[in-house]
Amino acid sequence: MSTISGSDSSAGAQSSGNGFVVDVWINLKRWIVKTTRNPFVVVSSLVQPIIFLVLFTEVFGGVVGGALSEALGPGVTYVTYLTPAIIIQSALVAAAGSGIGLVDDMESGMFEKVLVSPINRVAMFLGKALSEVVRIVVQTLIILALGYVLVWLDTGGNVGTYIETGIVGAIGIIGVAIVFAIWFTAFSNIVALATRDQESTIIGANLLQFPLLFVSSAFIPIRNLPEWVQVVATYNPITYGVDAVRALMLGQDVLSVIEITTFSGIWNTLVPALTVLIALDFLLGGIAVYYLNRASSSGVR
Amino acid sequence: MTAIDARHIELTYSDGTQAVEDVTIDIPEGEFFGFLGPNGAGKTTTIKTLVTLLQPTGGDITVNGYDVEAQPQAVRESIGYMAQETSIDEELTARENVQFACEAYGVPKAERTERIDELLELVDLAGVADKVAKEFSGGMKKRLDVATALVHSPPLVFLDEPTTGLDPKARIRLWEYFRNINEQGTTVFLTTQYLEEADELCDRLSVIQDGTIVATDSPDALKSQVGGDVLEIALVDPTDETTTRARRVARDAGLFEEGTVETTDQGISVASERARQAGPDLLVALRDADITVTGFDVRSPTLDDVFLAITGHPAGEQADDEATERSAELEGEVQ
Repeated sequence: MSTISGSDSSAGAQSSGNGFVVDVWINLKRWIVKTTRNPFVVVSSLVQPIIFLVLFTEVFGGVVGGALSEALGPGVTYVTYLTPAIIIQSALVAAAGSGIGLVDDMESGMFEKVLVSPINRVAMFLGKALSEVVRIVVQTLIILALGYVLVWLDTGGNVGTYIETGIVGAIGIIGVAIVFAIWFTAFSNIVALATRDQESTIIGANLLQFPLLFVSSAFIPIRNLPEWVQVVATYNPITYGVDAVRALMLGQDVLSVIEITTFSGIWNTLVPALTVLIALDFLLGGIAVYYLNRASSSGVR
Repeated sequence: MTAIDARHIELTYSDGTQAVEDVTIDIPEGEFFGFLGPNGAGKTTTIKTLVTLLQPTGGDITVNGYDVEAQPQAVRESIGYMAQETSIDEELTARENVQFACEAYGVPKAERTERIDELLELVDLAGVADKVAKEFSGGMKKRLDVATALVHSPPLVFLDEPTTGLDPKARIRLWEYFRNINEQGTTVFLTTQYLEEADELCDRLSVIQDGTIVATDSPDALKSQVGGDVLEIALVDPTDETTTRARRVARDAGLFEEGTVETTDQGISVASERARQAGPDLLVALRDADITVTGFDVRSPTLDDVFLAITGHPAGEQADDEATERSAELEGEVQ
């Protein structure tokens, strides 16, 4: 009897319930449901971009117009110039919310509940991260559509080419938004894990967001900004995110904080910008993974 | 078979706090086991090592036949755990909460709907199944938490102070569920600071103090350790001076062959085999000593008396706040 139960128990130890993909899906699903129920999310991914895009184009459009044609040539409207910035801003907001969700889970006990369940721990975090990706994809598509509507209204229905690089470019824009969001998602989770406090996490992520946006190439061409802002913008990741999206949108090399001419056309923007962002993703992602490991491995392993 | 076989568990946090010094627990399948102790005695830390959330710094633990350190995954699959703090996702509905737990524990899809309905029925939440949990009362949330811990019909369930902070009605209702589950064959490991809860539910219990188990037995056997009945005497002026005098009278009167005398809030209490017979004589002796008695009562011993006799202080009294906070912390890095 004892030998039989002994072999039984070792067989039981091998089975790990669901398998990795299912575990990821379970967590992804939970976070997507939570996201759609959160009014803050709906406001920040829908209402806020609309307000910014409409107000900024109406208020600054006329003033910036001249600077735009000077920097990028005629035919670039402020809407098409600004849409990339709003896409990056919304990605930033979504990323900032990631850590808040994590602290929420810790405070509600759900974090521990998942740790004590057979769910794979990597799948637990991956599922949550993917829910943020889904959110970014959806809101990027919405903002692109919104920008189109504004151009359509501006031009009286004669839009011409909206995204210079076409469908591939549109997919590329979503890709850049995701690559861009990773470092800030990691940052917000690091703050969350280090403070384990909701308010600190909200403040930590949001405090950075606005100043960073303004001292970048987001709203006005870099060369029209004061000298010191230009210096800060060179070291500001937002510049690289916005310029990468903008290069795909406008079909030209828009990165002006560092001059790269090794490649051709938009690749002179995309290659350096993505290199910077991916490096940041790995750096902050690594730190976040270290913190997550520490927070969840108080048990065995 | 043994549900839990833990020998000499020891857990010292990285800051040097020794939350659990030496805990040995042996629980047969099907038992309703109680783990009783004041705040900070090491209850939560012990339970967290049993459910694989904390790694013990010493000792051997087997849960459902699996080693918690070598086979944590198998342990996690075979247990249900309800944390001290209610752990549900308030943004999800009751049904979604149970569904998430079903998915997490790999309840087969074909059985899921039925299982969810059955569990919501069990905890009386079927009527509000599709309401978001945020709107629930504390008791309802707790009951939902119970349901999520039972999705996979685990043979062993850990309940960490499941009724703390609930009103008496909600508490009695939860007791019924727990008793139900246990009658269906589930082993239950319950921690509590409520003596009447342990008395009501448990087949056997251990009393833990300062990280060490100080007594293990059935509630009745523990009560009989107190030795006889308890005589409570209320004094008109229960100051230190009068109670000390009253205790001396009770000891020196030669009325009780054996027994213990303690100070209480109202006066003194005497636990003795002869409490009933010698009670009136003690009242006379107190009157002769000019101590005014305002009330007296002879009753059977409760676990409170056991607790007092074993640990030297009443249950619920804070033993070591720091240790509780430490053990409640999620991270709980261990050395």
